[in-house]
Parts: sequence; C-alpha cells; structure tokens
Amino acid sequence: MSQPAEKRFEDVEFGEDLPEVDVDVRLETGKVFAHATLNLAPRVTDHEAAKAAGLPGAIVPGIMSQGILVAAIHAWAPNARVLNVDTIFRAPLIVDSKPVAKGVVTDIDDETKVIEVDLTLQNEKGETPVVGTAKITL
Amino acid sequence: MTAAELLAEYGDHVFDEIDLDIEADSLVGFATACGETHPRFVDPDDADFQGVPNYLTRIHGTRTLPKGFPVDMERCFDAGKSIEVHQPVRPGDHVTGRSEIHDIYEKSGRSGTMLFIVHRMNFYNQRGDALATVDWRLVQREFD
Repeated sequence: MSQPAEKRFEDVEFGEDLPEVDVDVRLETGKVFAHATLNLAPRVTDHEAAKAAGLPGAIVPGIMSQGILVAAIHAWAPNARVLNVDTIFRAPLIVDSKPVAKGVVTDIDDETKVIEVDLTLQNEKGETPVVGTAKITL
Repeated sequence: MTAAELLAEYGDHVFDEIDLDIEADSLVGFATACGETHPRFVDPDDADFQGVPNYLTRIHGTRTLPKGFPVDMERCFDAGKSIEVHQPVRPGDHVTGRSEIHDIYEKSGRSGTMLFIVHRMNFYNQRGDALATVDWRLVQREFD
C-alpha cells in the first residue's frame, strides 16, 4: 500500500490539522483485534451479549481506540516516532459505528524537536468518546 | 482509608510480574485492526518490523491490584491509559511486565468523590532493556 510522504519537522505548523481518518470499527475488524490480543470477551465481539450486559452494543476496546489514534498520526506522518500517548475513555465507542479520527498540532518545541498532537475519536453524533494527546518526533 | 494511606500501604513495590513471548502474528493483527498500513508495522518481512507504539498496553498482569487492596470493582471504571515508549517491541522478544501502584489520589465534584488508582506496568525485554511504561487509571466512584 502506498504511503504518504514522510514529514519533516520544518514542515509542521502549529495548529495544523491532521487529515481526518474514517475509522474501521466493524465487528470483523474488532474480532481481528480480539484474536491478536487474546481478549475474546463477548462485550467486544458480540452485540447481543454486550446488550445483555447493559451496554448499547459491543464496544471497541480502549487500547484499540488508542491504537487507532496512533494510526491517525502515522497516516499524517508515516515516519513519526511516538514517544508517548495518553488517552482518556469518556464513553464507550460502539462497534459498527462510523467514527472519525481527528488531530491537531498543539505544540512544537524547536529545541527538543518534540511535537505535541491532540487527538479525538468522534462518533456520528459529534460526541468524542475518546480523546488523547501524543508527543512525537520526526 | 484515605488515598494517602492507601498509597503508603500499597504503593512503591512490585506486586505482580508476568512474562510473554512476542509473536509476529499478534503484532500484525493489532496493527492492521487499528488501521496501520506502514510495512514496519504490518509486514513481518520488513527489515524494521516492530509492534505499534501502544502494543504493550494489551498485556495485563495476573492481578489488577495488590492482594487485599480495598476497592469495590463494581463501582470502578477504566478512565484511561498512557504509554511512554522507550524502544520498539519486536517479534521474538521475551517481555517481562512488572506491576506496581504508582499513585492514588482523590477528586471531588458535584457527583461526589472519586478515587483514582494509577496502576503502572514497566516492560523489559530479554536483555533487560526498558521497552515501555504503561499507566492505567482505574477510578472508583462514590469513594468515602
């Protein structure tokens, strides 16, 4: 698969928006993640079982949401080295919904060359069940 | 017990340790499900093949909290996770994760007092190199 061009530190602007990413959280994709992480809990792989447990539907694991936000960074800057990422889970992200990953550059340190990016996963209702911050270098 | 008392009793020591061998299939599955497409994350034949930066967040210890820790898990929720990456994890690595209680604090608001427990796991490879530090914030509602 072709990759976007590598990003240089000098090309990054404060306030720059990362390209929005339409995120794939279909049940099939969730099952791939579930097998990769050996987390086969019904609440992440089965809508009916999740509803029986009081959830609106099967939920995307928090660490998958975090991974999706990291992937959004790489979709913008494939050569980015992620130093840290911190995510807050405000509400469940539901499997088979159609979220969008967004990001914006919120700090650029010219001395250390560290770039800070604010990240969100937004659902169809405009809510942001997952937010995060990452520090990267290029 | 107050948050400070809990921290004094349960903090600052390793209460759990787990070992895991890292396999390429798991690294690829994690990465592709999250939408990564770069060969260094999804192609085991790539010369720089490695796990995505937050891969090690998938590893849990054998227990969430130290033995005897007084918490009502029914009133707890996962408030978030952070990872500081020290170096990439790669297939064939034998990873050790050590758990400790890094911090405990309270926050009060309109809905009452909540207890924040920061569970930290430090990860090392078979050479003893630090790979990552993962902090998991567990919150108990209606703490008193």
